[in-house]
Amino acid sequence: MAGQTIIEKIFAAHTAADASVEPGSIIWLDLDVRTARDFAGANVVKNYQTHYGETPVADKTKTFFTFDLVVPPSNIPYANNQQVCRTWAREQGVGVYDVNAGIGSHVVVEEGLAYPGVTLVGTDSHLNILGAIGAFGQGMGDQDIAFAFKTGRTWFEVPPTMKVVVKGEYQYPCTARDLTLAILDKLGSKGALGRAIEFYGPAIEALDLPGRITLASQVTEMGGIVGFIPPSEEVLAYARQQSGRADIPSFAADPDAEYVETVVVDVSGLEPLIACPPNPANVVPVREVAGRRIDSVFFGSCTNGRFEDFAAVAEIVQGKRVAPWVMATVVPATREVYQQMLRSGVLQTLFDAGFIISNPGCGGCASGHLGMTGVGQVNISTSNRNFPGKQGAGDTYLASPVTAAWCALKGEITVPEAS
Amino acid sequence: MQSKITGRVWKYGDDVNTDVIFPGKYTYSVSDPQEMARHALEDLDPTFVANVQPGDVIVAGKNWGCGSSREQAVTCLKEIGVGAIVARSFARIYFRNCINQALPIAACDAVDGVETGEEVTIDFAAGTVTTPRGTYTFPPLAPEVMEILETGGLIPYVQKQLGVK
Repeated sequence: MAGQTIIEKIFAAHTAADASVEPGSIIWLDLDVRTARDFAGANVVKNYQTHYGETPVADKTKTFFTFDLVVPPSNIPYANNQQVCRTWAREQGVGVYDVNAGIGSHVVVEEGLAYPGVTLVGTDSHLNILGAIGAFGQGMGDQDIAFAFKTGRTWFEVPPTMKVVVKGEYQYPCTARDLTLAILDKLGSKGALGRAIEFYGPAIEALDLPGRITLASQVTEMGGIVGFIPPSEEVLAYARQQSGRADIPSFAADPDAEYVETVVVDVSGLEPLIACPPNPANVVPVREVAGRRIDSVFFGSCTNGRFEDFAAVAEIVQGKRVAPWVMATVVPATREVYQQMLRSGVLQTLFDAGFIISNPGCGGCASGHLGMTGVGQVNISTSNRNFPGKQGAGDTYLASPVTAAWCALKGEITVPEAS
Repeated sequence: MQSKITGRVWKYGDDVNTDVIFPGKYTYSVSDPQEMARHALEDLDPTFVANVQPGDVIVAGKNWGCGSSREQAVTCLKEIGVGAIVARSFARIYFRNCINQALPIAACDAVDGVETGEEVTIDFAAGTVTTPRGTYTFPPLAPEVMEILETGGLIPYVQKQLGVK
C-alpha cells in the first residue's frame, strides 16, 4: 500500500477504521467543528428547522456561528438575518462569535478550535484557509452545513493531492502575497481543480503564520479543495498554546505518498505582482499597469488582514499622507488584531496618514458592507477576489499590502520601493 | 431522476462564478426560491430569465460555479427549471451543492459541439452527451453520489437511510 498524503491522513483519522481513504472514494467524514457565518447563516437555520425541526444539534460544544461579513449590520435585512441566527443559537445553546469578533476563519485559529489535523466546515468558501495551520477546512452550502450541525459529519470525496514545490527565495518589497500571486499565475484558476495541494520548499517553510494564511486563502482561487502547508515548529507551538493541547499529532505526508502532479514554481527574482480585473488569476507584474489613477484602497480580508500586514503598511506610510483623492480603508481581521494595532501604535500611524479604520470583520471584500465601489471606480485591494460585482460596480486590482500602501500614497498604481 | 434528459441549450464560457450566477447583492434580501429564480444569471446573460424554459440545459466551459459557497447559485437555476448542467469541469463546492439539491450534472466537453438554442441529450446510464456535432462521454458519478442524486438530494437521501418520512 502506498503512503498517505496529508489529507488522506487527516481523513483516515476522521472516518470509519475500515473505510477506504483513496482518491475518488467517498467517505463519511467526522467533523471536529462546524460553523455558519452571518452570510448564509439564516438559510442554514431555515434549512435546519425545515428538515430537523426543533431537535438538538449533534454537539453544541462543536457548533458555532461566526458573524463576520456585514458587521454590525448595514441594513435591516442583514440585521434580521443575524437575529435569526442569534435567537436560534440561544435556543440550541450553541456559541456565537458575534459582530465584534472578526473573520470566522481567523477566530477559530486564535481560539484554538482549529489546529493541525482538525476537520472543520462552514459556509465560508475560504475556510480552506485552515490549511495554513495544517487543518482541513471546507466551505459548503446551507444544506450541507445544516446537515453537519445535525449529524456532526458530511460526505466527502477524497481528492487527489498535487504537490507545489517553490524554488528560490524572494526579497522585499515582495511578500507572501506576491509569492501567492506567482503560484496563482502558474496554476491559473483551474490548476488545482478538485485537488488538495501540499506546498513545499524553503520559501514556504520560511513563511510565518500570517504569510501561510495569505497563501492558503488563495487555494480556492486556484480551484483547489484545500492547500496544506506543513506546520513549522513556530506554527505548532502557537497551535499548542492556543488550543491548550500538548499532544497535537503530526499529519505529515508519508515519504512514499502518491501525488497526481508536481508543479515547480521558481520565485528567484520575483517582482511585485498584481491581479487585474476580472479575476484573481489575471496576474501581471505591477510595473505593467503602473500609472493608472486609483480612487480607493482596501486593506484587510482573510487574505491580508493580520497585524503583520498592517505593520508593513504603517512602516511605509509613517509620517506621510495618502493621496487626497484616495479613500483608504483598513479593516483588521479580528478583535485581537485590532488590539495589537492599538497597543503597538500602528493604528495611530495609519490614522495620522489619513486611513479610515473600521471594526474587525470582512469589510470591503464583499459588496454589502463598507467601501463598495461605484461605476468607473478603480480600487486596489488586499482581499481575495475581484470578480465583477464582488465589491460593487468598479474595477478591483488585488495586490500585497506593501504594493497597496505605495498605491495609496501616490494615488496611482505604483511599483513599491525596496526601502 | 430521469436517466435521459433532452433539453435546449444555453451555452456559456469558462470560469462562470457564483457572483454572476446569483448576485451577492441579493444573498441577504432574497430567500424565496421563486424570487431567487428571477435573478438567475442576471449579470452574465440578462436574456436568460425571460427566455429560459423548464428542461433547458446549461452547457459551459471549465470551472463552472467557481467563487463563493452560496447555495442560491444552484437553487435559482433549479427553481427556474434548468434540467441539467454540462460543463468541461465544475468548481467543487458548486458540484456538491448540485448533488445535494439533485440538479443533474455531467462533466465533459459537450460545449465544443453545440450552440445556444440547439438540443442536447444527456444519458446518465451510458455516460454520454449527444450534441448536433458529436457525442461526448463523461465519467460516471460515484455510486454513492448517484444514489443521492436519484433519491432527490441529500436530505431525502439521509431520511431514507435513517428510515424517517
